[in-house]
Amino acid sequence: MATIALPGTETAVQPVDVAARHRRGGRGGTSGKAGPVTYVLLVVSAILSIFPLYWTIVAGSHTNAEIAGSPPPFLPNATIVENIKLALEQAPIGKAILNSIIVAGSITVGTVLCCTLAGFAFAKLQFRGRGLLLSLVVGTMMVPVQLGVIPLFMLIAQLEWVNQLQAVILPTRVSAFGVFFMRQYLVSALPNELLEAGRVDGASTIRIFWSIVVPVARPAMAVLAMLTFLTAWNEFFWPIIALTESNPTVQVALAGLGSGYVPQRAIIMAGTLLGTLPVLIVFAFLGKQIVGGIMQGAVKG
Amino acid sequence: MATVTFDQATRIYPRAERPAVDALDLAIADGEFLVLVGPSGCGKSTSLRMLAGLEEVDAGAVRIGERDVTDAPPKDRDIAMVFQNYALYPHMTVGENMGFALKLAGVRKSEIATRVTEAAKILDLSDYLERRPKALSGGQRQRVAMGRAIVRSPQVFLMDEPLSNLDAKLRVQTRTQIAALVQRLGTTTVYVTHDQVEAMTMGDRVAVLKDGVLQQCDTPGALYDRPANVFVAGFIGSPAMNLVTGDAVDGGVRVGSAVLPVPRDQLDRAAAGNGRVTVGFRPESMHQVGPGEGIPVLVTVVEQLGSDAYLYTKLAGEGADDVLHPSDVVVRTDPRTAATAGQQLWLGVREGALHVFDASTSQRVD
Ligand SMILES: Nc1ncnc2c1ncn2[C@@H]1O[C@H](COP(=O)(O)OP(=O)(O)OP(=O)(O)O)[C@@H](O)[C@H]1O
Ligand SMILES: [Mg+2]
Repeated sequence: MATIALPGTETAVQPVDVAARHRRGGRGGTSGKAGPVTYVLLVVSAILSIFPLYWTIVAGSHTNAEIAGSPPPFLPNATIVENIKLALEQAPIGKAILNSIIVAGSITVGTVLCCTLAGFAFAKLQFRGRGLLLSLVVGTMMVPVQLGVIPLFMLIAQLEWVNQLQAVILPTRVSAFGVFFMRQYLVSALPNELLEAGRVDGASTIRIFWSIVVPVARPAMAVLAMLTFLTAWNEFFWPIIALTESNPTVQVALAGLGSGYVPQRAIIMAGTLLGTLPVLIVFAFLGKQIVGGIMQGAVKG
Repeated sequence: MATVTFDQATRIYPRAERPAVDALDLAIADGEFLVLVGPSGCGKSTSLRMLAGLEEVDAGAVRIGERDVTDAPPKDRDIAMVFQNYALYPHMTVGENMGFALKLAGVRKSEIATRVTEAAKILDLSDYLERRPKALSGGQRQRVAMGRAIVRSPQVFLMDEPLSNLDAKLRVQTRTQIAALVQRLGTTTVYVTHDQVEAMTMGDRVAVLKDGVLQQCDTPGALYDRPANVFVAGFIGSPAMNLVTGDAVDGGVRVGSAVLPVPRDQLDRAAAGNGRVTVGFRPESMHQVGPGEGIPVLVTVVEQLGSDAYLYTKLAGEGADDVLHPSDVVVRTDPRTAATAGQQLWLGVREGALHVFDASTSQRVD
């Protein structure tokens, strides 16, 4: 399923980039400048990261036969515009992108908010059964998604939500991983004295959460938001069950592209490129901020 | 402004076998500066946190003014606290840090600004109001923490080792500044420190704690002159009081080959336990006497301070090994006529300067 694999490689781009900045930051403290080895490594990993995207464009502008030729083509051409038009005709990609933005956006906002609240409670509030509850939450990470799909579908069907966006939003509004991640971060990053100072200053617990916990947790929240958004955007398994091609997310829409006796790869690739663009744009604008958040957290340690 | 009362207040942490604070009784007057002092782990912070409402009170009561606050949350106690690591909100500017409590209390913006500006002026922070705590020096952060407390004009200030993160010189400076500031504001203050010099210089009264139990609470002068037991005697004063334990004999207490004279009736009461008596004498209440007359000692180290010199000596002569004493006998002398290491001296204790304790109970006997 090439349609899933490609956005998946996009996920790989970010960590490499982060690691590179991290190294540079670390070296900057001691020797001031990166050496030639660092640059070579950076260039190689940048090429490796960008190549799949480039190949999408190349493959999107040639027919099956041309791509299979030897040597294969190395440059894109204007045919891609034609193929994009075809893709847009074959599937409601515009609607799918809008849907995906709504779905991934809601899931991200919900997950980050709920996981920060729960992570704060597990990290810093004293209550009966805290350890047991946390183990339960972490334990749910070990249950495979596939196991829950049938009961989940029956539930969604009863609610008459099939083919509606809430069917893909609500089941993933909170993630056990996110709760655990935020808890781990807050345990060490949020000193108890800060909360006590807040209490002495007269803040209620919910006020402490908004005014003290959230600002301290911001770097971790940014990382969680990034991971959640990408996962939600790339999610295929549950959306293709719960939605149909009349009201799809991007991944569901791409699945319906170029189908026929012989799959037309050029059209699939052109659609994939369209579906990837919004994510690329988001990270082009937010990437710096997110990486900044990661670094800030690292420095404060 | 208000009084503060601890009434048999006790805190037992979950799964701890003994109380961290054990039946603490303290009555702090309106406007008084009370210092809680004691070695690490003695329960000073716990006592303060009980007063702040950050720690449960398992038995007894805590009152601020006439009001029983034993079960009241911190925000209903009208107190302000200065933390050891300052606990400044990292994402707020200095001004926002200081005004946060007022903002929560619903004070008008203009009023907050006035009070923050005023406090900043007092603390010499006017130029830093827009900065984040991260961009301040340790001393400035400490002042912001103070500022956060004073803008609220609370009934009681609580301070938990607020100077321990400063370097020695700044600590001495800030110590005087805090004392002067609190004096001027006239607010009741409870101040925690493990440094007995800080306690003695700042407190109207000083409460000495050990293992969660209050040992003595009195003015610095009284603590120094009349320590209630061996622990307080050894804790207050620097260098510490010399404490030696010997047998009660006719006319006094035997220390090595010498006998330190103690009045008959006092000696009898002190020796009532097990016949042994602990005597204490401060470094400055000793003087040299002629050979063979007092306690024979051997000088091991001479510490020259310019204004004074301290002789660190070991008991010498016959029977020196039978005497129970934890460390050297320290003597303060004139720096210009100080003895040299290796020299043998005979020491006498100034009249009336001898502290006598029952060796079995460690309690003072007068
Ligand atoms: N949260 C806690 N849970 C269990 N025991 C605690 C807790 N906090 C403190 N204790 C114990 O209670 C006792 C008193 O602690 P406290 O913090 O009051 O000491 P302290 O006098 O402030 O010492 P220091 O000068 O080192 O700050 C110590 O023995 C400590 O181990
Ligand atoms: Mg303490």
